[in-house]
Amino acid sequence: MHAVIPMLEARALVKHLGGRRVVDGVDLVCLPGQIHGLLGPNGAGKTTTLRMLYGFLTPDAGEIRFQGADVRGDLVSAKRFIGVCTQEDTFDGDFTVEQNLLIAAEYFRPRPDGLRERVGQLLDRFELRPHARQKPETLSGGYRRRLMLARAIVHRPRLLFLDEPTTGLDPQARVAVWQLVDGLRADGLAIVLTTHYMDEAERLSDVLTVLARGRVVAHGAPKAVLGDSVGEHVVVVATGAEVTAALLPWLAPRGLRKPATVLGDWHVPLSAEALADFARAFPHLRYEVRSPTLDDLFLKLALEP
Amino acid sequence: MRWLTAALEWQSRVVVLRHLRVYLHNWHTAFLPPVGEPVTMLLAFGLGLGGYVGALDWRGHPVDYPTYVAPGLLAYAAFMTAVFQALFAAFIRMRYQRTWEGQLTTQVELRHVVWGEVLWAALLATIYVLIVGLVLTVFAVLGLVDLDLAWLPAALPIAFLAGCGFAAFGLCFTALVPTIDHMNLPVFLVVIPMGLLSGTYFPITHPALAAVSAVNPLYHLAQTYRGLLLGGPVAGHLAALALLSVLMVVVLVPLDLRLLRRRVLGD
Repeated sequence: MHAVIPMLEARALVKHLGGRRVVDGVDLVCLPGQIHGLLGPNGAGKTTTLRMLYGFLTPDAGEIRFQGADVRGDLVSAKRFIGVCTQEDTFDGDFTVEQNLLIAAEYFRPRPDGLRERVGQLLDRFELRPHARQKPETLSGGYRRRLMLARAIVHRPRLLFLDEPTTGLDPQARVAVWQLVDGLRADGLAIVLTTHYMDEAERLSDVLTVLARGRVVAHGAPKAVLGDSVGEHVVVVATGAEVTAALLPWLAPRGLRKPATVLGDWHVPLSAEALADFARAFPHLRYEVRSPTLDDLFLKLALEP
Repeated sequence: MRWLTAALEWQSRVVVLRHLRVYLHNWHTAFLPPVGEPVTMLLAFGLGLGGYVGALDWRGHPVDYPTYVAPGLLAYAAFMTAVFQALFAAFIRMRYQRTWEGQLTTQVELRHVVWGEVLWAALLATIYVLIVGLVLTVFAVLGLVDLDLAWLPAALPIAFLAGCGFAAFGLCFTALVPTIDHMNLPVFLVVIPMGLLSGTYFPITHPALAAVSAVNPLYHLAQTYRGLLLGGPVAGHLAALALLSVLMVVVLVPLDLRLLRRRVLGD
């Protein structure tokens, strides 16, 4: 049985910017037909990591391999097979939707075969055909994002980077983009995705890497990441002077810090055993128990020193 | 030397072609300034002011003021076009339109973006010199200026060479100014004074200006054009222009790359 060669393999990436070590030893692997989510709070190093991976920035240390080959050997050739959809719109406002796709293909050699046909297919797939002769600025946010996605794959890349692909979109447009991204995964693209949206990361990602302060703090399937990093359950309890006074002494011996406060409620991550202890210790306390989400992970990371 | 060979790589050509496409797409607004400006300048300075100035001395021969100014207009057009493309147009592409960011996610690298901007600015300067040259041809046919039109085509490659140097110069400011409002500093403190005090509209006789003119490529460009179109020695000024233009490219393009790497990539 042949092992699948990762489309992307990054080891021990390090980057300093402005005298600060913003990425500190990040590893990342992405296989064909896989979506690898890259998460983290603001300033965690996600965008810097992504920019190193698609060649915008040069790592200070570490290596990046594309289909087994070190990209330092020939980054320009490697970029022929990489597509990037940046967070901000970078299309040419002077040209129509269709012209944007044609011109985007000009930045690659060898040129994509059957370009006109390819552009036509993308216009249909991304439902941009009715807008083909319009300028991008006349499109809604959702359709601009579709254009950015279509531009990123016009040259048939094998590896795709999506930097916060649905930021600023309404729920309907977000779902539409998710479906398009899911379709690209089904096509066999390896996709690295950064996002702030927890539902997006959980629903789309096959694998998650969570960064904090430039380092990997969690890695694995979304549910495993949550279980290992946050816990099996989250107890939500309204705080008050009495509750605080009672809870803090209970949390401390169990190695639990003061939990995150969200709109006056404490969100306390607990294992199943700790939850049973909690129920016995506070039989008269009103609280809610729910499953952990990536929001809880972020809150936990935010509280860590 | 990768920074130098990048000028000849396909990626730089693709960047230039993209800018050319935009220009052709907007030809109806991009075309008017190079046609309108020399007409206005020749009418205002040449015919208007010329009535008060009278004849100027050129190599021991009197020439009327419109005829004296005409080659200066060509040089001015090349200079201002190249510099303003490298200043405002490049800054807008970098900062607001994010054209560079989009290009840098492809097989185009920063050195290609920079060379694309330099070569495009030089090409546009050449196009504008062609257009101004056609306008001057009309003026010559109408008898309003007295120029040796047979040498006009030689102005084009000279404009391209000088345009490369001017564009590399302009990109330095693009890399340094924090906001588009700060463009006023290089424009009003450097570009406009340089454009007006380089022998373009009047002879340089003041000792201080003459001393500076020796290392001013725009001065040598104006004098080269004057030599071509009014008759007179050209070789010395052309050699000085070529040397200064090449120096500007060799020194400033790597500097532009270094400054823009920090500005655009944060690296």
